[in-house]
Amino acid sequence: MQRCESRWAVETHGLTKRFGQKAAVNGVELLVPRGSAFGYLGPNGAGKTTLIRVLLGLTRADAGTMSLFGYPVPRHRDVALARVGAIVDEPRFYRHLTGRQNLRVLAAAREPAARDRIGPALERVGLAHRADERVLGYSLGMRQRLGVAACLLSDPELLILDEPMNGLDPAGMADMRDIIGSMVADGRTVVLSSHLLDEVERTCDAVAIVDRGSIIKQGPISELLAGAQLALEVECSAPGRASALLAGRSLGVRVDAVPSALGLGITLPAGTGRDVIAEINRVLVQGGISVYRLQPVRTSLQSWFLQVTTRLGDPE
Amino acid sequence: MTTTPARGAAAPDQAPQSAPTGYPRDRRGSPVPAAGMIATRIMELRKRRGLMIALVVLDIGFPAVFYLSRLIGHAFAPQANPPAGGDLIFKVFAAGFLPTFGFIVAITVGCTAGSRDLTEGMFRHLVVTGRSRLALYLARIPAGLAIVMTVVAIGYAIVCAVSVVAAPAFVDDNNLNIPPGLSRAEFGNWARDHAEPVVCSLPYSGQVPNLPCPLPVSKSAVTPAQPAPPRLEALAVKIAGQDYPGYTAIFLSPPDSLMIEAGLWIELGAIIAFTVGLGLASLMGQRTVPVILLLVLQLILTPILSAVDIPWLRDSVVGLAIGRIEPSGLPAAAGLPGVTGGVGGPGSSRLPEPALEAACVIVAWLAVWTILGAWRMMTRDA
Repeated sequence: MQRCESRWAVETHGLTKRFGQKAAVNGVELLVPRGSAFGYLGPNGAGKTTLIRVLLGLTRADAGTMSLFGYPVPRHRDVALARVGAIVDEPRFYRHLTGRQNLRVLAAAREPAARDRIGPALERVGLAHRADERVLGYSLGMRQRLGVAACLLSDPELLILDEPMNGLDPAGMADMRDIIGSMVADGRTVVLSSHLLDEVERTCDAVAIVDRGSIIKQGPISELLAGAQLALEVECSAPGRASALLAGRSLGVRVDAVPSALGLGITLPAGTGRDVIAEINRVLVQGGISVYRLQPVRTSLQSWFLQVTTRLGDPE
Repeated sequence: MTTTPARGAAAPDQAPQSAPTGYPRDRRGSPVPAAGMIATRIMELRKRRGLMIALVVLDIGFPAVFYLSRLIGHAFAPQANPPAGGDLIFKVFAAGFLPTFGFIVAITVGCTAGSRDLTEGMFRHLVVTGRSRLALYLARIPAGLAIVMTVVAIGYAIVCAVSVVAAPAFVDDNNLNIPPGLSRAEFGNWARDHAEPVVCSLPYSGQVPNLPCPLPVSKSAVTPAQPAPPRLEALAVKIAGQDYPGYTAIFLSPPDSLMIEAGLWIELGAIIAFTVGLGLASLMGQRTVPVILLLVLQLILTPILSAVDIPWLRDSVVGLAIGRIEPSGLPAAAGLPGVTGGVGGPGSSRLPEPALEAACVIVAWLAVWTILGAWRMMTRDA
């Protein structure tokens, strides 16, 4: 594979795409490190697919600059896209052709070596045994696999997948995770656009959260979650009295305590020290509350996502 | 806010202003399509069974069935059915049916090639390859033409083959079976030997005696020589001398030069129709409406415009321009469908547009629709 000097697989500055008065992509500053699995998260209509379409030259940007591997796009899109494989939206193909014939059409538009990759790509996505059937009879999951096979024709340095888990059965999802994992292990970059937070958390190193066309947070998942609120689960007697007790005491930080079925749910600000947790325990015991269990809860990407955007699932 | 590089990646750089070295060797930014692209486009079109069946039935099946029925009819009942081939039936096909069918075939393939990538979602995949959009468009032209021209050529070859092989053995001029290829003297001798039917049947500008003409004469065999009075024989020779130029203009089978010219003309019409269909469908992003529009243009508007006395408007219609360069050996009353009379119709005479002007109109139509289609292909959202 040819390489250039840029450290970033994807780099955008002030990227903007408008549809009429509405900015689907609004001044996006995005840096995707090479060799990473990068999640691009956002609620429906946040502009995820539009950004990908702009990056791939499927539609024109209204403002801003972008580059892939340091190649300015669209000026050098031919060079940049030579190293890119992408699925955008639902993968659709010529329905009257077989899967293999569809790949032949796409390989012909790429470099000559792409034709030799058709067989291995079909094997890789588990579609070799159905490759000579017409796409007309393929399920959504099979077309999704064929889309991934089409991506592999370019021996990509950058794989951009827009909702790749759509239509896949559990085995297919596991296969997709394996493919993404092996690609990253090979030093390639994967950008995964998805609303499946668990999948992104399981697959990706870093994420960007997009909402209303703008990126509101981005960074390695571990760093982002380290900056998230701390949650405690407390199993205790008299949760209501415990909540009132904590509300009346000053612990140096804001403590939100809500009675729950098991006991008490407590939320603390990001960066709260362990001594505050010990102090909470002491206050409860000294107040005559029996504490059976006190456990910090690891913040998931989903809960963090809900903290930074409240529009998950909002209809557009 | 930026992302810290994962897995030890270095700190961010400024976005480079120019491309680093290392262009791929496949020249995918070039507007010239690769041979493999054209080959796979041909495959993609060829695999459309419905389309191909329709093309073959229309442009190959119809002439094949028509000629087969005439061959069978003549084989079993030669007196009631004329020979299947010959110059006349060739001209009917070459000037009427084949241009019509070739036009329909060409616009159908053109509009399919120009729109199906979009409607079936493959255009996006192709753009993501980084291949020049112009190359993607241009690859459609040779691929589509390979199919259109092949189908049209096969249909035309059937017409030519039967027209030659199954041509009549005698010149059937006014119900007389005259041997072909006679010199003026031989034609006069033959007329003297067949004086009564010649006097009864062949046109003559002078006075003809009042004869009880037993016409029509059998078409299946040479009319046996009948004894005739010397005056009648002399008149027959005179008539033959007057009609000899007309006799020599009648061909049993179409001349080679006419078959070549007509074939090229029909293929040219198909090329133009394909190119316009491709451009219009690429511009509109769909197939059905462009097909309907082009059929309306050619079959309805063009005949109307041919009768309109507005020279600049009439001369700018591509269908009329194609009619202007029709081979002179084909009947002037024919031409493209609807242009000068439609399929086998009586039609009107050729319009006075010079051939050079017609050629310019054709080139302009090809260029404009190719540019429009390519422009839309290069600018549309995928």
